[in-house]
Amino acid sequence: MDLQTLKLKMDQAHYIYDETLATVLYVALKLGRPLLIEGAAGVGKTEIAKVMAAALDRDLVRLQCYEGLDESKALYEWNYQKQLLSIQINKDDSDKAELTDSLFRDEYLLERPLLKSIKSEKPVVLLIDEIDKADEEFEAFLLELLSDMQVSIPEIGTVKANTIPFVVLTSNRARPLSEALRRRCAYLYIEYPDMEKELAILRAKLPHVDDKLCAQVALAVQQLRSNEAILKKPSIAETLDWAAALDALGVKELTPDALRQTAGFILKNSEDIAAMAQKPTEECSCGHNCGGHHHG
Amino acid sequence: MDDHQVYLAKLAAFSRMLRLEGFQVSHQETADACRILIDLGFADRQTVKQALSAIYAKSREEQLIFDRVFDGFFVSEDVMRAMAKEQAQKDAQREAIRASSQEQLQVNGQPMMLSEEQRNTYASMPEEERQRLLDFLDKYKNNAERNPDLYGNFIHSVFTKSLLEQQMRMEDAATNVAAADPEIGLLFRDISEFRDEEIPKAISIIQTLAQQINAELASRHKSAGRSGVLDFRKTIRKGLETGGTFYRLKYKKKPRRRRHMVILCDVSGSMIQFSEFALRFIQSLNQASESSKVFLFSESTVEADAFNLENMDVFREYVSRSGIYGKGTNLANALEHLSDQRPPILTDSTTLIILSDTKTVETRRAYEALQKAKHLCGKVIWLNPIPENRWNYLRSAQVMASGCTMISCNTLGALASACRRLATSD
Repeated sequence: MDLQTLKLKMDQAHYIYDETLATVLYVALKLGRPLLIEGAAGVGKTEIAKVMAAALDRDLVRLQCYEGLDESKALYEWNYQKQLLSIQINKDDSDKAELTDSLFRDEYLLERPLLKSIKSEKPVVLLIDEIDKADEEFEAFLLELLSDMQVSIPEIGTVKANTIPFVVLTSNRARPLSEALRRRCAYLYIEYPDMEKELAILRAKLPHVDDKLCAQVALAVQQLRSNEAILKKPSIAETLDWAAALDALGVKELTPDALRQTAGFILKNSEDIAAMAQKPTEECSCGHNCGGHHHG
Repeated sequence: MDDHQVYLAKLAAFSRMLRLEGFQVSHQETADACRILIDLGFADRQTVKQALSAIYAKSREEQLIFDRVFDGFFVSEDVMRAMAKEQAQKDAQREAIRASSQEQLQVNGQPMMLSEEQRNTYASMPEEERQRLLDFLDKYKNNAERNPDLYGNFIHSVFTKSLLEQQMRMEDAATNVAAADPEIGLLFRDISEFRDEEIPKAISIIQTLAQQINAELASRHKSAGRSGVLDFRKTIRKGLETGGTFYRLKYKKKPRRRRHMVILCDVSGSMIQFSEFALRFIQSLNQASESSKVFLFSESTVEADAFNLENMDVFREYVSRSGIYGKGTNLANALEHLSDQRPPILTDSTTLIILSDTKTVETRRAYEALQKAKHLCGKVIWLNPIPENRWNYLRSAQVMASGCTMISCNTLGALASACRRLATSD
């Protein structure tokens, strides 16, 4: 697949991208490297994996990381209940060695996302989400998979990948990732979209919403993000939710009342809502020279 | 040489340049870069830059350095010629200034004792700065003739200091990753230079950094937390899931030992912003124990309660109400106040953290009080907002640094490293 085809596929998936994103995705895909995406919460890191799955027509296998995540939840686990049942059923068999060997066959193996992604007959997109939430040990454990596309299971041996998944790792930079992990990945940093891109996203995802309202929402969100007093910046998903909420309420124009009633969709703590109320919007997209007074 | 080898040769040179900038570039990355350039071609400069950035740069900070190196390395022939011409002009101009400086910089008819490096700095400094130094020399020329020893040394020390400051400014400008990204810029800029509108951003950076440090410490604590003693209750409970087989053994964790901290915080006019940031940092660390105490001082000392430290406005109001704001700094009084507390607050298990720029009256008495406090408590760590390379010019900093562990933290980045060190030290 060349760069133009990839762009075409992303267009077909109704994904709004810029040239940097398309080039980096192409590089990672072409080189077969995992892609590490960093950026603030809500800039659309996870969405990229979903879009790539749709664009490449592959299944998405997702591993959500959290503190304490280990191999048994990420890679594989033996089905003990089933093994115990098998021992009970076959306890009278004379060949004990055969019984022991039979307990470590594939039928007793519970495949978790990582193993599932490399054993799949068709290549998949593997999303390792919020890797910064996992422990450092887990990060080290991932190195073998990411560099050699294989994993070691003590009872079976080394399992090589049937197909090479396209791996996407995301991080909110809650803690710095190890150099070893970074070196194995192509890197992408995503920032919040600019006005033009945000508007394009709104139009693509919510085609039924009035164009003027979309423009007002996009502008208001840009201004909220640039307001230093607001600590939790609105994400793209929240922008979409907000526009959808305004549309569902039948709002045609973003008035102060509409803003107050729906502020909970875009700002998620009381300090930020108070900060928004304090600072009047200097520029307004209503088309009149209002000085932003009616936007609160 | 075919095209592929040309690419590879150029990329190998580019990789070497990146290594000089501190990147860890392996052969694999150069080979990857070559492979992708063969595929994408050189037609679109921006695409080449984006593709190489994805391969070579592995963090936001590295991306910014990469952009600079790329723009310097991959330039068109015309641009390169223009740059070379400009550079040659600058070199010639600098050489002319260097040559004239031998005649201009004289005290009592003798050339000033300046090193080669200092002369180079003099030649590279902006015209107005150079003129300022020449005016200064002219002004004190007569005094130097009357009293050569006293004024000769004075003129020399002023010149040395100015040239050193200029050199530092030039070094800062050369490594100016900061300017390209406002957030990273704030991280590496002097705290005293923050504008009012940048303070909320700085506070949000402090929160993020404190979260990062806490996450690192939590993970380190988790991996090192096993005490080796088997937890029978948890092991048996876990074993029930596997039909009574003790498949996974559970171990007891070491109880978490939080340090008892006493923070002595200078709130004189120039220090209040730094103190506010540093206190926020220390308070956000999980490692700071609930029994930690904070004392604010200028000429006198008052104890602050945790509520008054939560919010910047409340903090500033509290400081101005306490009557210690805007006064001089007397560290000796503050340290003696701590040492004399009954029941004692400085004990073997205490870490005393001092947030101050060391500028105090009665330096000798302050040093003696510091030694007494150090004798009483387990450890003294001094967070100094003045950069380490300027301590040489501040006698009080030299004196105090000789008596305790002093860490320079004039930027948020340095403050974060200091707090990380603070939280991990035993």
